[in-house]
Amino acid sequence: MIIFVLNCGSSSVKYKLYNMKDETVLAEGRVERIGQDNAVIMHQPAGRDKVSMTMPILEHTAAIRECLNLLTHPEHGVIASAAEIDAVGHRVVHGGESFSDSVLINERTKEILDSLASLAPLHNPANVTGIRAAEKIMPNVPQVAVFDTAFHSTIPPYAYLYAIPYSVYQRHKVRRYGFHGTSHKYVSQRAAELMGRKIEELKIVSCHLGNGASIAAIQYGKSIDTSMGFTPLEGLMMGTRSGDIDPGAVFYIMKQEKLNLHEIDSMLNKHSGLHGMAGVSDMRDIEKAIAEGDKLARLAYDMYEYRIRKYIGAYVAAMDGVDVIVFTAGIGENTPSLRTALCANLSYLGIAIDEEMNKIRGRDVEISTPDSRVKVFVIPTDEELVIARDTARLV
Amino acid sequence: MDIRRVAVLGAGRLGRGIAECAASKGYDVVLFSQGAGGQDALRRIEKSLDRKLAKWAITESEKRLILGRISYTLDLKELSKADLLVEATIDHFYTKQELLRTADHLCRPEVVFISTTSTLQISELARGINRTELLVGLHFIPPVPEVPVAELVRGAHTSEQTADIAKQFATKLGKKVVEIRESPGLVNPRTLAVLVNEAAYLIDEGVCTAQQAEQIIKDSWGMNQGPLEMADRLGLDLVLNWMEQLQDEFGPRYAPCPLIRRYVRERRLGVKTRLGFLAYNEDDALITEAEGKKEGKQED
Repeated sequence: MIIFVLNCGSSSVKYKLYNMKDETVLAEGRVERIGQDNAVIMHQPAGRDKVSMTMPILEHTAAIRECLNLLTHPEHGVIASAAEIDAVGHRVVHGGESFSDSVLINERTKEILDSLASLAPLHNPANVTGIRAAEKIMPNVPQVAVFDTAFHSTIPPYAYLYAIPYSVYQRHKVRRYGFHGTSHKYVSQRAAELMGRKIEELKIVSCHLGNGASIAAIQYGKSIDTSMGFTPLEGLMMGTRSGDIDPGAVFYIMKQEKLNLHEIDSMLNKHSGLHGMAGVSDMRDIEKAIAEGDKLARLAYDMYEYRIRKYIGAYVAAMDGVDVIVFTAGIGENTPSLRTALCANLSYLGIAIDEEMNKIRGRDVEISTPDSRVKVFVIPTDEELVIARDTARLV
Repeated sequence: MDIRRVAVLGAGRLGRGIAECAASKGYDVVLFSQGAGGQDALRRIEKSLDRKLAKWAITESEKRLILGRISYTLDLKELSKADLLVEATIDHFYTKQELLRTADHLCRPEVVFISTTSTLQISELARGINRTELLVGLHFIPPVPEVPVAELVRGAHTSEQTADIAKQFATKLGKKVVEIRESPGLVNPRTLAVLVNEAAYLIDEGVCTAQQAEQIIKDSWGMNQGPLEMADRLGLDLVLNWMEQLQDEFGPRYAPCPLIRRYVRERRLGVKTRLGFLAYNEDDALITEAEGKKEGKQED
């Protein structure tokens, strides 16, 4: 079965083509700057040279058509024709309360997705545009939506509700939804596989630490809590997002700095986090600045580590224990010093790290010592594979 | 037609605001101006973006991206590359009509013309050009990036499709579009003129100071900015011009208060001369009453 996975943003499309027989990636690529004369397509057929070209691509239908042209290209292609594609899997950021699992797309699904636009105005409309564009080009191919929020639909009400008037939840569905669900799902399942255990027996804390970051408590295969909330702003300190902050401080800042809603929103989402503290948002730059003696970079790093540690502690309490901690995504996979610091500060859990294993990059690796009471893994995330698997399951 | 390149005629406050707003929404903008200070337009747009940066509304990279999308030229031949034309020059009928006529020759025949006029008639402006059905009125209210509403007016010949294109453009710029009938002064300038005029009479009669009038009006009606600051930011010469045109059209109820005439005569024009009804610093920020007393800048 050949599955085409699409992740459509407002001006970009990322794709991967899978052969589900052995879950291999046949080709992958992306289109950037959609809507402009100088849109860029990068296409990587497996085991062959990368192809890159610039051309005018004005909307998503044209972008997806160009992706298919490359996938079926006599020289750069990996399939003979688009008819070989059995199904298309779409990443959709927000499924609201309507979707607790991936879903085969029909007219009703699209209506519901349209109605969810207000919950993720920057992402969902672009995702739905991608769905409509793919349907237009491949009208007879089944399409599946896979939601970032779906994995967290098992969080119980006492954990997903905010302590505000219940009527606000009833009227506007303001609650914790959580994000990065496909990533947390993938790495938690993979950790269980690597241990040779059933996920239904394990208590896992999964740390997705990228430019956006979230932690999930996964008890016996189900997400029971996660740090991102109604929006991806809540929780951990991130590259440019503040994470948790006293709402009272937000009102005070707005008053003192005379900020409107857009300005405070932009401040908390784009000017805070590591960037707000140290002036750079990339953890590699933070580490470099620390090496050069930058005190604010050191403070930002310590804040970042402390916030993760606090959440791990909270989720150990939420699950009454922990068997596995998993690190994934850009910072989670590529910052050994952060993992060392975190684990050293979690000694009460009986965690011990093998520093040699901790240095390995780019593959699944267990970094805890054999006698560590809690197993610690670094697992490169693969959200597209989850989308492909869910798509194959549903068609 | 897909609109990507927008030509903005006029680099005054309105033109600059439209250019900044359009560029921040992804349009490529070419700003045309033959008036004095036109070359300063890009620097002033950058200053406006710096103010947003200082309030965290945009990031440094967003600022660079927005500025990168705006170019400035004196060469009207560049109009041939535009997908949409927005005319934002001063409301002087013959100047505007002459400019539209020139643009009519230079732009591709299918390009829609938007006029931002608030006191002139679209139907009358259309008489000088061939593309009568492609001309539409869209009154953006300064500061354009901040004010979330625009008034749309069709002329006698404006086509449905033209009105739709103007609506889509304004909507993409984040404006709620309210379509009203063609009438000099539309809703915003006509009501503002009355409010400013009445406040000017109150000041002239010694009932209150400009600061007092501003505070009462602003706070009692929940405005972010009071009418006197609005008038100062528009320029009192422009406001006087509105009032005179409205007086010509509707009679003496729009007759300008003598205080406004006096201020314009004294070149006390508002923000651009640092003093109008109220006083402003070099960053165009309002000097509060307390600050003004300290610096001796408040006269009323």
